[in-house]
Amino acid sequence: MIKKLLTAGLLFSMAVASIAQTPQEKGLAIAVEADKRSEGFVDSMVKLKMVLIDKNGKEYPRDMRVKAIEGLAGAGDKSLMIFDTPKDQKGVAMLTFTHKETADDQWLYLPALKRVKKISSKNKSGPFMGSEFAFEDISSQEVEKYSYNYLRDEILNGVDCFVVERVPFDKYSGYTKQVSWIDKAEYRAHKVEFYDRKKSLMKTLENKDYKQYLDKFWRPSLSEMTNHQTGKATKLIYEGYEFKVGLDESEFSNNSLKRAK
Amino acid sequence: MMHQRLLIACLSLLIADSALAELKSDYQLNYEFTAFPEESAVNSNNTQRVNSSVSLLGEFFSSWDDGSQSLSVKPYYRYDENDNERSHGDVRELIWNKVADNYELKIGVGKVFWGVTESAHLVDIVNQTDSVEGIDGEAKLGQPMVQVLLERDWGNLDLFVLPYHRERTHVGDDGRLGLGLAYSNALYESSNAEKNIDFAARYYAYVDELEYGFSVFHGTSREASLGFDGVNSSLLPYYATITQLGVELQYLLEGWAWKFEGIHRDGMPGNDIASAFGNLPVINGANLLIAGDESYYATALGFEYTQVGILDSRVDLGWVVEHLYDSRQDKAGAGAFEHDVLFATRWAANDMASSTLLAGVLYDYEHTDYSLSLEGNTRLFDIVTLAVEARVFAPSQANPQYQIRDEDFVKLTLGYYF
Repeated sequence: MIKKLLTAGLLFSMAVASIAQTPQEKGLAIAVEADKRSEGFVDSMVKLKMVLIDKNGKEYPRDMRVKAIEGLAGAGDKSLMIFDTPKDQKGVAMLTFTHKETADDQWLYLPALKRVKKISSKNKSGPFMGSEFAFEDISSQEVEKYSYNYLRDEILNGVDCFVVERVPFDKYSGYTKQVSWIDKAEYRAHKVEFYDRKKSLMKTLENKDYKQYLDKFWRPSLSEMTNHQTGKATKLIYEGYEFKVGLDESEFSNNSLKRAK
Repeated sequence: MMHQRLLIACLSLLIADSALAELKSDYQLNYEFTAFPEESAVNSNNTQRVNSSVSLLGEFFSSWDDGSQSLSVKPYYRYDENDNERSHGDVRELIWNKVADNYELKIGVGKVFWGVTESAHLVDIVNQTDSVEGIDGEAKLGQPMVQVLLERDWGNLDLFVLPYHRERTHVGDDGRLGLGLAYSNALYESSNAEKNIDFAARYYAYVDELEYGFSVFHGTSREASLGFDGVNSSLLPYYATITQLGVELQYLLEGWAWKFEGIHRDGMPGNDIASAFGNLPVINGANLLIAGDESYYATALGFEYTQVGILDSRVDLGWVVEHLYDSRQDKAGAGAFEHDVLFATRWAANDMASSTLLAGVLYDYEHTDYSLSLEGNTRLFDIVTLAVEARVFAPSQANPQYQIRDEDFVKLTLGYYF
């Protein structure tokens, strides 16, 4: 709540005196603007191919589907992720309720045992399904969960970008900071560097082939995470994004998790 | 002309929607090899120290009506080279599911799971245990049911009508991990025998990091009182009519998961193993002797503490401690944990092969004896998995599990998915 007031206050003060902006204010303003531009997607569905790449370049593909629904009136988004391969994990599903102020709620469904397990949000720094993405990298990114610092302007691959640093408030985050390259035209993150708890560069995420949906929402077709410490990488390939498909809140519940196919 | 086109379009949509619903099929073939370092102490029928078995699980699924109706069918068959009772088939699932606006309905043969703890599944009562599958009791037989699920702001309520009782499977007289005795036909307290109609309900909800559930079951017990059939010199399963109340709690606090399961059960016949068949169900000539009903409670309480990414690695390390208690103490059945503590450690490698390991000791502080267990899983190729399970039993003479003292084993299971 305080953070919201702070955000509102900052935006107001920016409007009256945009010249006297501190790097913190400018960093937050960029994050708020980026968030605003993805508002109103209502719901979405996408097929996801996750390719794990080991040190020798050998690839291990996994298939999954993701459904998401936008939170109403300040509530966080909800998402349901369903695994199709590897075949021994088929039907495993994960339900996430994102919260802006408190820790997310997350449940995992194990179809062989018909068991729903609530997972601790402390696990967020752990690897997601053996990949180089951590749970916290794939969850909905709420503005309120970080503090910001604008660093500089920089041209990245010919695109004019803001370079913004963000520091997670959550003590269970695996990162001390993230540095993002966000383009000035559409506020899309093209590159993110992740610094581990020892403050050394751990991973780099590159978002490629951005496509616009419904004349508004930009999504990358390929996200590639490279771990500099292990030499391993993970590609996320998004196929067939759909927005405003008419998903219902009831499709993001404990019972829907058990019947996810 | 326009109308006709519309009509044809509508008709073809309808057909596509119902009759031509896509059928998805998957199969899992398992080969299982078990080695026993010692011959059985009590079973002279089976001197084998290795055992091979194969099983096949089919999964067929189809949905229609815009996904709001579906049919799931899962036939299962296991062949065991030594044990005829272990060679068995089952319909794990054959269930129609209808999702409506404010309720969900399931009719057919299905499976549900209740509970939170690792060491015992006390509250989980809807499905019968397929106990020939494994000693952990986690494999279940398909249960005929009508299930209504209500999901509301105040929580989830599942209501069940269970019109048929499945008998628990038991290792045969040729099988390892048994007593070398055959089983007589089951006897029931209910005059309807296996056709007695049982009822169950479970309410569950959560507040922040606390999850809680309350359940009730009235009908034929899934657990039999094991007695002796003096006519056929065999084991006699007797299924009493019981009422069970169950409670489940889980509280997540940072790396801790605190867990509790408790049941109160009324209607099981009294039991006194110490006095050699004293109160157990016995067929003696034409008479069936059964002790009077007894009520008791049992609990499992403990925690799992997880360290994420130990020593800057990808590995998660968990510590599991659970205490098991049964108010019947020495009069509890052989399958119960009267006064035991589980200490276990769980490793998740978070590697590409999704490797996990769970190793533990179950310590009985009254009998001062223990059993050890180890369960591991990994993926060898994209469609091939390997599981290992090892158990060591060291029961004292006073423990009813003394009969299985030489049944230590190592089991390897190769799973092939297609």
